[in-house]
Amino acid sequence: MADNAEERVRPTGTVGRTLFQIATILAIIGGLLSCAMAVIVTVSVAGRYLFSAPIPGDYDFVGILCGSAIFAFLPYCQLKRGNVLVDFFTIRAPPRIKAVLDALGTIIFLTAAVMFTWRLYYGTLEMRQSAEQIAAFAFYRWWTMPFDIFCMVVLILTIIYTLTHDIADARSGGANSQPGTTP
Amino acid sequence: MSDLAIGGVGFGFLFVLIALRVPIGVGMIAVGMVGFASIAGIVPLLSFLKTETYWRFSSFDFSVIPLFLMMGNFATRAGVTAALFRAASAMIGHFRGGLAMAAIGGCAAFGTISGSSLATAAMMGQVSLPELRRYKYSASFATGALAAGGTLGALIPPSIPLIIYAIMVEGNIVQLFQAAFVPGILAIIGYLIVISIVVRIDPAAGPAASRATLTERWTALRDIWTVALVFLVVMGGIYSGMFTPTEGAGVGATGMFLIAVFHGGMRMQGFIDALLETAQTSAMIFLILLGAGVFNAFLGFSQLPIWTADLLQNSGLPPHVVVVGMIILYLILGCIMDSLAMILITIPIFWPIVSALDFGLQPDDVKLWFGIIVLMVVEIGLITPPVGLNVYVINSLAKDVPMLDTFRGVVPFLMSDVVRLTLVVVFPMMSLALPKLFGG
Repeated sequence: MADNAEERVRPTGTVGRTLFQIATILAIIGGLLSCAMAVIVTVSVAGRYLFSAPIPGDYDFVGILCGSAIFAFLPYCQLKRGNVLVDFFTIRAPPRIKAVLDALGTIIFLTAAVMFTWRLYYGTLEMRQSAEQIAAFAFYRWWTMPFDIFCMVVLILTIIYTLTHDIADARSGGANSQPGTTP
Repeated sequence: MSDLAIGGVGFGFLFVLIALRVPIGVGMIAVGMVGFASIAGIVPLLSFLKTETYWRFSSFDFSVIPLFLMMGNFATRAGVTAALFRAASAMIGHFRGGLAMAAIGGCAAFGTISGSSLATAAMMGQVSLPELRRYKYSASFATGALAAGGTLGALIPPSIPLIIYAIMVEGNIVQLFQAAFVPGILAIIGYLIVISIVVRIDPAAGPAASRATLTERWTALRDIWTVALVFLVVMGGIYSGMFTPTEGAGVGATGMFLIAVFHGGMRMQGFIDALLETAQTSAMIFLILLGAGVFNAFLGFSQLPIWTADLLQNSGLPPHVVVVGMIILYLILGCIMDSLAMILITIPIFWPIVSALDFGLQPDDVKLWFGIIVLMVVEIGLITPPVGLNVYVINSLAKDVPMLDTFRGVVPFLMSDVVRLTLVVVFPMMSLALPKLFGG
């Protein structure tokens, strides 16, 4: 299923290819951040039991890494059309109707993503003003947030890109309809 | 319109959006935002949204999810699934129906390190289906057994649905894992019994494979030391309280990475693929989590959860009838919906109801017992038609088998699921015994 989806999703135009590359690189960065989480946790556990010296503030730090990793994962998932939807009620609908509905869903997602990004910008400013640090050492929480905003902007671009595909599908009667995405 | 009515209308809208192919997480975000603004006002919503994404994603508790997913993705590349199936089939493959039993055993063993049913079904299906077909197992029986066996991935801890439930009801993940243990063992036994009955009725459905030699058995067993080791360290550590589930998942992911590199021959491309798979599944889960966060904030304002809890508490309905009603609702929803989404949408309403009812149990015990019930019913949803995701996954591996045949093959396993569900509902001790033993 995944392979099949990949073939049809892999974009062809310059814009699409560039977005795909950026989203993939972000996803890999997020994956590396997850690896960093695993390593920190492992070192901390080992430190706690072997030398009774855990890494201070490891919980907060792992949480922050997790946050940035998830932000970095979002555009890739959208480009792969990996978000779960229920196609039970529309399974027999003509491809054109499906394409129109998909465009609708994508527009809603776009609106939500723009709202989140806009507010996250102010959230970042506030976090910077309040200068909140994680308890154990001097790591300001807002430091990772510009990266998170960048990921959200890429997500918005990705959603716009997938929306153009949905609209093209709706126009052409869903001939090159994108994978219905499933699980 | 009263806040309560807005809550009800919001729920209705959510289901309409979901029925219209809007991704579930996106639907929850949209309805949540609109509902939030219409009850509390725009300005509080805008202020709420400022840090909602940040805090929803940046949580130590939730970080267990990508870590467990990554551990499973590395495990696949460590060749774990193939080794597990080889070992199981070397031991019991020569019995009638033995290879199907081996596939169940493999799923169960993979379930001890994987928290996801779909991954378990996909991975074990890839290695065992060709073997089952080679020995002329009936296509319907073989695919049905694997689709059902896949649910062991989540039924046996670690379990992603259970982690999400735990976070939503502020329950103890470790105790929930312990509570899932006995029902998980029962699931394995139930499936094995089903296989032996099916091959007794229809011996052609599951012919015996050739007997493995002693040396073959020994080699096959030796190859699964990796799983045994990771299971002992990760789950042993979590159960005994040596480390938290997140720490266990982190240690497990690191361990599986090393095994995949030094034992499974994972190279750069495999590593990147594992990261990308982790990325896609994590993003999918966290988008629903984000949606649930916004939607639940709205539901909280509407007072709908408290109102329904009061209503049912004062209705005079026997508590068990309410739970059975919920189970039926879950089974219906499960026919069309994904398991995580189902938990995230229903628990904010169901949990206040259940926690207000008197089952003659301690409040914390009700949390565990109900959690295991929810886990079992949402897993049943993965193998019921028309939308059984596990069945889809297995069926995509055996394209020549009609979907209907697979669903037909699932039926006997479904019956064992229903028996087990009934047992756990009637005898809460089946889920509570182990946490009590550990917790004292």
